[in-house]
Amino acid sequence: MKTTSVIAVLASLVTTAAFASESPSVGSAAPDFSAPDAKGKTHSLSEYKGKYVVLEWFNPECPFVKKHYGSGNMQKLQEEFTGKGVVWLSVDSSAPGKEGSLTPEQADKKMSEWKTRSTALLLDQDGKVGQAYGAKNTPHMFVINPEGKVIYEGAIDSKATPNPADIPLSTNYVKVALDESLAGKAVTTAQTKPYGCSVKYNK
Amino acid sequence: MLPSYVRSAPPRLLAIAACLFTLASPGQGQVYEGKQLVAASLIADTNAIVPGKSFTVGLLLKMTPGWHTYWKFSGDAGIPIELKWQLPPGWKAGELQWPVPMKFDDPGDIQTYGYHDEVLVLQEITPPASIPDSKVKLSAAANWLVCEKICVPGSANLQLELPTSTTSTPANVELFSRFRRLLSQTWPATSVATLKWSRAGQDLLLAVTSSKLANHPFADFYPFPPEGVVVGHPKVESRSGNEITFRIPLESALQNQSSIQGLLVFGQHPDADDRIAWQLPETSGILSVSLARPTAERSLIAFLFLGFVGGLILNLMPCVLPVISLKIFGFIQHAGQSRQKILRSGLAFTAGIFAWFIGLALLLILLRGAGHQILWASLFTSPYFVLFMSVVVLVFALNLLGVFEISLPQSATRGLLGVTAKEGDAGSFFQGVFATILATPCTAPYLGTALGFAFTQSPAIILSMFVAIAAGMAAPYLLLSAQPAWMRFLPKPGQWMERLKQFMGFLLLATLLFLLYVLGAQRGLDAVIWTGCFLLAVSVVCWMKGVFITPIASTRARIIAALLMLILFVASGWYFIGEKFRFSKLEVAGAKLEGDWQVFTPERLQTELEQSHYVFIDFTAAWCITCKFNEASVLETAAVREAFQRHNIVKLKADWTNGDPAITKLLKQFGRPGVPLYVLYRGKTADPFVFPELLTKSIILDKLENISVASQ
Repeated sequence: MKTTSVIAVLASLVTTAAFASESPSVGSAAPDFSAPDAKGKTHSLSEYKGKYVVLEWFNPECPFVKKHYGSGNMQKLQEEFTGKGVVWLSVDSSAPGKEGSLTPEQADKKMSEWKTRSTALLLDQDGKVGQAYGAKNTPHMFVINPEGKVIYEGAIDSKATPNPADIPLSTNYVKVALDESLAGKAVTTAQTKPYGCSVKYNK
Repeated sequence: MLPSYVRSAPPRLLAIAACLFTLASPGQGQVYEGKQLVAASLIADTNAIVPGKSFTVGLLLKMTPGWHTYWKFSGDAGIPIELKWQLPPGWKAGELQWPVPMKFDDPGDIQTYGYHDEVLVLQEITPPASIPDSKVKLSAAANWLVCEKICVPGSANLQLELPTSTTSTPANVELFSRFRRLLSQTWPATSVATLKWSRAGQDLLLAVTSSKLANHPFADFYPFPPEGVVVGHPKVESRSGNEITFRIPLESALQNQSSIQGLLVFGQHPDADDRIAWQLPETSGILSVSLARPTAERSLIAFLFLGFVGGLILNLMPCVLPVISLKIFGFIQHAGQSRQKILRSGLAFTAGIFAWFIGLALLLILLRGAGHQILWASLFTSPYFVLFMSVVVLVFALNLLGVFEISLPQSATRGLLGVTAKEGDAGSFFQGVFATILATPCTAPYLGTALGFAFTQSPAIILSMFVAIAAGMAAPYLLLSAQPAWMRFLPKPGQWMERLKQFMGFLLLATLLFLLYVLGAQRGLDAVIWTGCFLLAVSVVCWMKGVFITPIASTRARIIAALLMLILFVASGWYFIGEKFRFSKLEVAGAKLEGDWQVFTPERLQTELEQSHYVFIDFTAAWCITCKFNEASVLETAAVREAFQRHNIVKLKADWTNGDPAITKLLKQFGRPGVPLYVLYRGKTADPFVFPELLTKSIILDKLENISVASQ
């Protein structure tokens, strides 16, 4: 009897460990987090309960991120949806010393240089937010509904290339998911394979 | 745009310049911050091109130490290497052949598949049978992403120039043999290895049994998921004896995803140069399962209920309506009679319905056993069946119109024996049979599913399904005859009954028109005319019966009349049907399609899907009233037509009027016994979407709106 319960506990621990870095599955509750932004202000998911939240993994050096910022595509999207009351958080999970890691000053400068329109750029230097969401790519996108459930996870759009010329030819999954959900419909494409650079974690 | 001085330069000078340029750069380098990351070039396994003889070209990428490029499935990050040829007309390129990649683990549990140092991606090129030039220059554009700690995209426009010749010798032998050794092998014979897929919740389990594999300490599964499927990291779940089980988590996939493609990689250690990869055998993955399953998942009881409801609804079908009127009329007639008689009549009618359905079930079981492709409603695909029905309907109509009376031989002895109900029972019985025959082409909404399910089932289930349908159809009559009290709601008999009877004769004639229209669709105008001739002769026969074969006529007159009738019937049947109708040409189904519809063929569907087009198929038939209704009220409306056009959906019409076997086969794949059926294919990989049998505009428009955002 005792051994069985020990095994059960061990098994559940092993399972938890094995899936620790998997992305929260679509439809499940988005894990809470808190991280500072470029201005030192702390943001947490729980404070945005009741609102749509978009999480966008960010690395200013990554060619796939540059594809969407260099073309103005990402800023346009941020402007459109923050205008509709959506909270848009860009998250930089690059570990210090690795590609794309930003100090608060650098982050602030990058934001004004690129004219970003997100609500905030979170600096997740220890990678905790990224690992909680199993974020693997930049850009890796999550859409969370006002009930705190993940309603979209995956790529930003349908053309997995670093070429900005492909943007007009692709379907933007984040826009579609938000448009559908804001219109009260179910999200048709709720999960896709994200594409881009790997997130530069420390471990 | 070239500078003007170059444009004005003599051609020879230009040629020399071009030559120098080619010689100077056999390949191209990707330079990043002063460092060459990747050198790309095209090389061939031959020193010359022999017309018509295939050869292999490789894209060689040499990477700076520490940097890597990606396999066809790049894993959690990265982009696969891409090679696009600009081949002259008549040249063909095969599929890219990928050496077995390595698995890289990056911080943050990021796994990718790719190559470092050097990789040669192979592709077979087939030149045309004749090449006019002595030298051929082939060009291709290569794209890749190279990563170390950071990622940099690279691209190059590459050329390969080779002389043409009648003979050739191998070239670049060492490089090609080194990378060919690393290509995946086809799955070995079952004596060497067997595999089994199963599903454990959200994960797929792949169990491989092989002693050859078990001898290697390293074994892994490199997935190659189809579009739309997101996989987690495969890992070895268990190893015991000769069996290795891999667990492949599915993060996003169809519920019925039963397997995925991939490589089984094994060797002494993960990076060993002698590692071997077996390509998993081609399996249907989802398609075979998804087509047959949706119906099988529902329980038998639910299906029997559906059958019952379907049978009930059959009563409301336009093609049964005249018969219902007939039956209701019968009830009114019996209203003045004893309760017992009415019940008997109701039971006889019910028995008729049951007899037909059970007979049909037995026939279906028999034919199914004999391997015939006969389906529900496919009787109507035979013009002889339609012809037979026309004669039956006409005879009934003439009877109702008062041209002749049906008097069964028993009626003569009726008074004598006192079995007064006999004629009524027999009549009711055949009315029951007749009503169901007419219901056949109208596959009511529920019935389609119910019968589709039945067709793939055991004889016992088919039989019970048909009995359920019969019960559904007979229920209202049985109820009325058992509770005649409810019939007091029906009007009292009178002179109006005769007129109603005659009027219903015209309703039957309208049914006849419909049957003739079906014949026209099947066999053309000539067949309709010859059928008309035969029907005219049958009418005369009926008229003779009414005029000459009466109780007051002498026996001699009756015998002569009967003989004449027989001669007329046989002779006209032999000439109009046997000589003329039989040789009327078969109409090519859908030969005259209207609007933007195109004729369905399996090849056509295949071609469209190969090109990743969305395809809508309308399975229809001239004799299917539901189909005609859907087409007129939904598919041919301006809004729906416009929506199809806007979403670039190819519209194919599968006309089953003559029972085209290719269409029969596809219907069966969807578990359907007959038409209508409306299906939307979304490219090759996605499951086809099946619309309900009764369409509305909003069903179609909503679906089209949804797919347009999910695709492109």
